[in-house]
Amino acid sequence: METPYAPRGDRNKRNRARSRRRLTAVAAGITAAAVAVVLTGCGPQIESGSPTPAGKDVLQAPTAASPKGTITIWDRSGDLFNVFDATIKKFNEKYPNIKVNHQAVDIDAKLQNTLTTGTDVPDGVFLDDSLVAGYSQSLWNLSDVLKPFLGKIAKQKVAVNSIKGGIYGVPFDLDPGLLFYNATVLQKDGIDPATIKTYDDLLAAARKVKQADPTSGPIHLENSAFLAQLWLEMFASQQGTSMTDASGKLRLDSPAYKQILTWLDTVQKEKLGMRADYLGPTDINTLDSGKQVFVPWAMWFDFAPQQLLKKTSGDWRAMPLPAWSDGGARSGAMGGSSFVIPKDAKNPGLAWLFYKFLMYDKQGYSAVYGPNSVYPKGLNTSIPSYQPAANPAKPLFGTVDALGGQNLWKTAVGAGNQIPGGTPTPKWWASAVNYLGNNLEKMFDGTMTPDQVIQQSTQQIQTNLIDRQ
Amino acid sequence: MTVTTTTPVSRTAPHASQRGPRWSLVRRKAAPYVFILPFLAIFAAFTIYPLVFTFRLSFTSWHGEGAARWIGWDNYTYLLSNPDFWASLATSGILWLLIVPVQVGVGLIAAVLLNSAKLKARGFYRTAFIVPFVTPLVAIAQVWIVVFDQNYGAVNSFLHLFGLPDIGWLTTTTWSKPTLALLFLWKTTGFAIIILLSGLQSIDTSLYEAASLDGASRIRQLWSITVPLIRRTIMFLVVLQTLAVFQMFAEPYVVTKGGPYGSTTTAGLYLYNHISVADLGTGAANSFLLVVILMTLSLFFVRLLRARD
Repeated sequence: METPYAPRGDRNKRNRARSRRRLTAVAAGITAAAVAVVLTGCGPQIESGSPTPAGKDVLQAPTAASPKGTITIWDRSGDLFNVFDATIKKFNEKYPNIKVNHQAVDIDAKLQNTLTTGTDVPDGVFLDDSLVAGYSQSLWNLSDVLKPFLGKIAKQKVAVNSIKGGIYGVPFDLDPGLLFYNATVLQKDGIDPATIKTYDDLLAAARKVKQADPTSGPIHLENSAFLAQLWLEMFASQQGTSMTDASGKLRLDSPAYKQILTWLDTVQKEKLGMRADYLGPTDINTLDSGKQVFVPWAMWFDFAPQQLLKKTSGDWRAMPLPAWSDGGARSGAMGGSSFVIPKDAKNPGLAWLFYKFLMYDKQGYSAVYGPNSVYPKGLNTSIPSYQPAANPAKPLFGTVDALGGQNLWKTAVGAGNQIPGGTPTPKWWASAVNYLGNNLEKMFDGTMTPDQVIQQSTQQIQTNLIDRQ
Repeated sequence: MTVTTTTPVSRTAPHASQRGPRWSLVRRKAAPYVFILPFLAIFAAFTIYPLVFTFRLSFTSWHGEGAARWIGWDNYTYLLSNPDFWASLATSGILWLLIVPVQVGVGLIAAVLLNSAKLKARGFYRTAFIVPFVTPLVAIAQVWIVVFDQNYGAVNSFLHLFGLPDIGWLTTTTWSKPTLALLFLWKTTGFAIIILLSGLQSIDTSLYEAASLDGASRIRQLWSITVPLIRRTIMFLVVLQTLAVFQMFAEPYVVTKGGPYGSTTTAGLYLYNHISVADLGTGAANSFLLVVILMTLSLFFVRLLRARD
């Protein structure tokens, strides 16, 4: 603080120091503002119009006689990684100059950032069908390279990969919904599975099981919001519908959804269901103790009797799903995956050749689904979506002991052929779990009615997801 | 032998001394700035740039690809009028109430006990308290899931011994927050104890001796000597844990995925939900709103401390 009796010279010095400090502060402020302005110029270009339309870049297949280069392929770690890894040798017999750098990656955690930053982008990625639409702006449109095969690929798989006229994934597996049942319990309770042709028949059979064992909850009711939504979409797919139409308009408020939700609500209200997380401890315990005997689920449920169930492993069988009305489709799709090729990939054409070999070349799809070092009797948790590979008369995998030696290939291929098409997947599908998936669970709690689920989910999805695109 | 070398002076470039005292002064003044340039460059690249980038992003609709669309305040108005945003803040607020007062209370008592000269095996206890803090959260979370499973968890099995019914610790909206708070408490109270212990060790022991001579009880000493003297440490801990609770992400993400029915979707997890689906503009706006809220809360605690001073 300046003292009133300070000598004039000192005061002048202080004033000069203060002026210098002010000058420095102003200079620092101007520099910071300049830096901010310069930095603001970095990052994405900003436009005032509508968002960039879905990718227009259409991939063309390589024309070289002997294409060469290196491709980086991302797959999820686990059994499927090992299956795909084992096919690379056969791929190289056909394309000796393409080196495949195969990596096991946590795709859900890594892909978004990689595509946003454009750093170390892989040439091909294994991706859940429900996520393809969300990434489509960063992917190659594969409609041209897929054109020769489109007529022979399951319609449902083409639909889930289609966004605004483009196709953004190479369809991999078809995952038909099947009705898995404990044949031993049904026999004990005097129920002939062949009589279960509609969902009303399934209710009637469940009531009989419940009557025989009041502690049972015969029908699986899914407890996790994500899988519950995926499950609901299987029932919807069976009726040829899904959350949105091809133009992205919500269609939850429809007779099909009303019918499905009312049926599920009946299972809950009459206590005919066993509410459990899919293959969680409660689920496995009740499946293995004969308390839960009907599991309408994707084909991949067959993993449970093969690997997880001990006491009832050989008691299970699979049949097509019941129909929603007499003569209706006996299956819908639940889940599934495809291969996508990022736009920033270094060798997208070579990645296409790899996927083309795996899916549409007899040698390739036989290596994936046929007996291999990972699955000695073949990969039986799904069937190929490419129809020439899914020939009912020529099974690629053998009979399944855990299903009493059943020819699951024949059952699944037959069911797969009944899946209606026209079920696109919106970009925001996974985010809708916070609304539709949660509301479905609230209905299972008994705190929401089917009508409330439809109305509330429609309003929430419209406001929080569709309007935010 | 001594070898002498001379450097020839350039005819065109004058030697520093030839440029006069003014140049020398400029060079001397500039030197510190030149020395801090590397720091400034790193600070600009990793702090200023992300901050400016994010702030700019918060006024756009951008999904990580192509051009961003300028939408003004839309992201902010959307969030401020969205019940989910306020619900996430409320969840964090409830967790704060369940965690911070308990942690300060329990931590203080534990720290006082650990600070006691009479306590044997002090090193062991100090290590035991800090072990949860240094254990990877994901491993702890997995254990938590198993222990609190409604049907097969150890906690419910224990309750069965007394004829008590199952409790949906992680599957009901009533219990999910307390269970998550318990996990956070278990994980971080060791850290709180270390902070409080450092505060306790700065208190002059003669104060306690004098109080004992005056006949003050242990509890009286705690309230009249310990708490006032480590008030600043406690406030520091409260600010630190407030930031941690409102940014809490990994715990609900691993244990409950934000459920059941969004009951454990904390402010941090709600923010992540935008980022994870590449709704980057909304995510950026959300993070700025969180910054404002957290700064306000921190300033409130600092003011509280100053008022007491």
